[in-house]
Amino acid sequence: MDPLAELKQTFFQECEELLGALEQKLQALDEGSSDPEDVNAAFRAIHSIKGGAGAFGCTELVGFAHVFEAALDHLRSGRVALEDAPFTLFLRCSDAVADLVAAARNDETAPVRPDLLAALEQVGQAKPAAPAAPPAVVPPAPAAPVAAPAADAPPGIAALGNLLAMVDAKMGAPAPAAPAATAANDGWDDDEPAAAAPVRRPGRDVRVKITPEADLFRRVIEPRVAIGILPADEVVSVSCDLSQVPPLETLDVTDCHMRFTVMLRTELSAEEIVSKFDFTLANEEFEVEVLGEAVPEAAPVPAPAAAPEVPQTVAADLSAILARLGPAPEAAPQPDIQPAAPAAAAPAAAPAPAQPRPPVRPAANDAAARQRQAVSVRVDLDRIDRLMNLVGEIVITQSMLVECVRSLPYDVYAKTAEGILTLSRQTRELQDHVMAVRAQPVKAVFQRMPRLVRELAQALGKEAKLVLEGENTEVDKTIIEELADPLTHMIRNSMDHGLETPDERVAAGKHPEGTIKLVAEHRAGRIVISVTDDGRGINRERLLSKARSRGLVGADERLAPEEIDQLIFAAGLSTADAVSDISGRGVGMDVVRRNVESLGGRISVDSEPGRGCKFTLALPLTLAVLEGMVIRCGDDRYVIPIASVIETQHLANTPIEHLTFGQEVLRWRGEITPLHRLGAVMGSAGARDENIIIIAETERGGNVGIAVDEIVGQQQVVVKSLESNYGAVAGASAATILGDGLVALILDVDSMLRVAASGARHPAPELKLAG
Amino acid sequence: MSLQLGEKHFTSAQPESAARRIVTFRVGDRTFGIDVGMVREIKGWQATTPLPHAAPHVRGVLNLRGVILAVYDLRTAIGLGTTEATATHVIVVVDVEDKTAGLLVDSVSDIVDVPVSAVRPAPDLERDEHGLIEGLVLLDTEIVALLDLAAVIRDGGDNQDKQLRVA
Repeated sequence: MDPLAELKQTFFQECEELLGALEQKLQALDEGSSDPEDVNAAFRAIHSIKGGAGAFGCTELVGFAHVFEAALDHLRSGRVALEDAPFTLFLRCSDAVADLVAAARNDETAPVRPDLLAALEQVGQAKPAAPAAPPAVVPPAPAAPVAAPAADAPPGIAALGNLLAMVDAKMGAPAPAAPAATAANDGWDDDEPAAAAPVRRPGRDVRVKITPEADLFRRVIEPRVAIGILPADEVVSVSCDLSQVPPLETLDVTDCHMRFTVMLRTELSAEEIVSKFDFTLANEEFEVEVLGEAVPEAAPVPAPAAAPEVPQTVAADLSAILARLGPAPEAAPQPDIQPAAPAAAAPAAAPAPAQPRPPVRPAANDAAARQRQAVSVRVDLDRIDRLMNLVGEIVITQSMLVECVRSLPYDVYAKTAEGILTLSRQTRELQDHVMAVRAQPVKAVFQRMPRLVRELAQALGKEAKLVLEGENTEVDKTIIEELADPLTHMIRNSMDHGLETPDERVAAGKHPEGTIKLVAEHRAGRIVISVTDDGRGINRERLLSKARSRGLVGADERLAPEEIDQLIFAAGLSTADAVSDISGRGVGMDVVRRNVESLGGRISVDSEPGRGCKFTLALPLTLAVLEGMVIRCGDDRYVIPIASVIETQHLANTPIEHLTFGQEVLRWRGEITPLHRLGAVMGSAGARDENIIIIAETERGGNVGIAVDEIVGQQQVVVKSLESNYGAVAGASAATILGDGLVALILDVDSMLRVAASGARHPAPELKLAG
Repeated sequence: MSLQLGEKHFTSAQPESAARRIVTFRVGDRTFGIDVGMVREIKGWQATTPLPHAAPHVRGVLNLRGVILAVYDLRTAIGLGTTEATATHVIVVVDVEDKTAGLLVDSVSDIVDVPVSAVRPAPDLERDEHGLIEGLVLLDTEIVALLDLAAVIRDGGDNQDKQLRVA
């Protein structure tokens, strides 16, 4: 991927996080939070999206974000009270921004939402006391999409050409006169109509010195992009120092010799500014210096006396290069402001005259910046996967070693065993850490759901509130990716079939607003996610009659209520009266079940007519490794996931009783528990004695006894797919490689029971092989 | 166990038409062939883990450097019973469609270049109802049946009901 596309990719990834934060904060505010930090955070999120979008030329996104930002700014400044703010509108707008981001990501055009724009522009207008709001005007097209690379030249060079042409023009012109002191803040760009009502921005004066390495262009970074990341309307001036440009004879145009000084009037902290350059500039390439707190009415920055002293410094006004990213001064060359000047100029009345702070060297000695970097490192998933595979191979090698060591003479064995034991522990630890790297909170998926509920509520004319719990429950990346679809289906189902309309709810004596609860938790080495609604529950009569009419249930077959509920997972059934866009076509829950089962998970439903419905989804925490008990039956070995095993016991201690058709049961903890003989179910070869019984838990909560010959041991096994080179195997979820290099099937208790059940009812013909 | 394969050219006048390079192997007294491009490697027999309820010609799965693949008994697939596999038997690891599979055969014989024009369509054999044979090639002394590997493997997978016809 070319670096620019990569950069863009990063921006979109960030956008997702920002959108999540935006929505979350707006939601909190909507629910009555009065924390100004929530407002600020929402504002910052949309602001960052706008900034990035500008840099990448996403015109529509910038336009919408700009208006949205302006509306939120009213809240931030207190011009619109929090209790008056239309958060529902804001939430819909955040959805619209998400659409625009998605469109920009896919290079599509997203629908412009004039309705939302108009509504946003009304925010703050109605208040008579409020000062005239800055007209929320979509700024003209932002910088043209960065660097359309010339056919044969690297993109940076074309940009350099432009820059040089511009600088040449400036050099030819008479050196700009020292600017009028007042120009610094008032000289807005002409083609920015929004500037009609200039606002003297609050904030600090900050100077950012950018001293790019010579290879800047070769890294395909344009100064315009790097600087454009700064909030455009906070950039006071940009100047360029060309003193480093070598004589023409030695000039390499692919080298960057320009030094930039950007003056900002901003509320961003130095750390925040530093972080904006994360993706473009190296830490050594820029320096952020806070010059002092600026009081809104502060005396303007004095004209820099330094300018004439540096004849080589061409105070090139780069406002044109910054193009329309934002207002820039007409002519405000400020090559080198004395750091002390603004502070000195601050009125004595200022409560705590800010001292100019020492320059912040990014990440050098600033703890906050360091911490920020420590918090997250973006790593390509591919690399983690490779690491994961390698760890998997080490685990196999290690267990192979353990087997080899067993055959050693005792004295050698003792010593070696100690080392192997340590190695096992370290391998395990290594694996845990790698797994932890891949783990992510389910929040990544959960946070998409509020929007879904909002949109469905609107489309269906229902009122619903979504309650999220356990969003920070962590689960392996492989599972996260697989969660979105089933969850979406389950929530759709609850919204469409579960919840009643407000009128129906009131008639049933319920609150008009329905509640959907989405809960994630760890339970028995799995992640269990439930979607609970307080709607009407499953209409068993109708479900059953549909199932009968489709021949899924025999006319005289009697089903327990719980069994009827499970029919919802049967293919082609839907109880919705009308087929809608949302659901009701009868594809859905059966697809969900199939997908979930293919991941080694289970889905179940509990319904109480009139009270609601609960779907429970249980998935493994990872698809990569599992803790297993190795068992032997006849000549074959199998692995049963420890998560399914409740206990093991000797057959002699367990009374077995025989029912009809050879079905055996045993009494275990006072319960009648069915017993299956693994060898028979899985067709193991060789003689069997089946003396050991494993009591295992089924996904539906019941227990089952499984008779095997021997428990070989317990170990962590690396899950290998059977499907990539073969296909699904009934009774097994996957396979693994044991220490001796042989393959063992990983049993899936529920799937095994289905095999056993189908074998009992329709005994499979014995497959006799000729020869 | 790995085999060194000798090369022998089918005719002296090879450039006259496009040639297919074919690996031949034996099951009992019959010779089969597949395109050399489909062969990933040839290895000695190693024990497989049987799969429950699989078609009869699925011998089980084995571990090939961390990848699990199924081994199919060609003898069973063509209706000659089950191979009593020993160390001298050979697994031909092949790429079929997007999967990797092992084919259990008695031995690998040769690699031959065959002009495309020398491949004759398989006669409409009554027994070959699964269409395992894609074509026939007449060598000096024997007939090589070119296998349609996808068809050989198709009856594996989670398809326990389908029993191959036993000759």
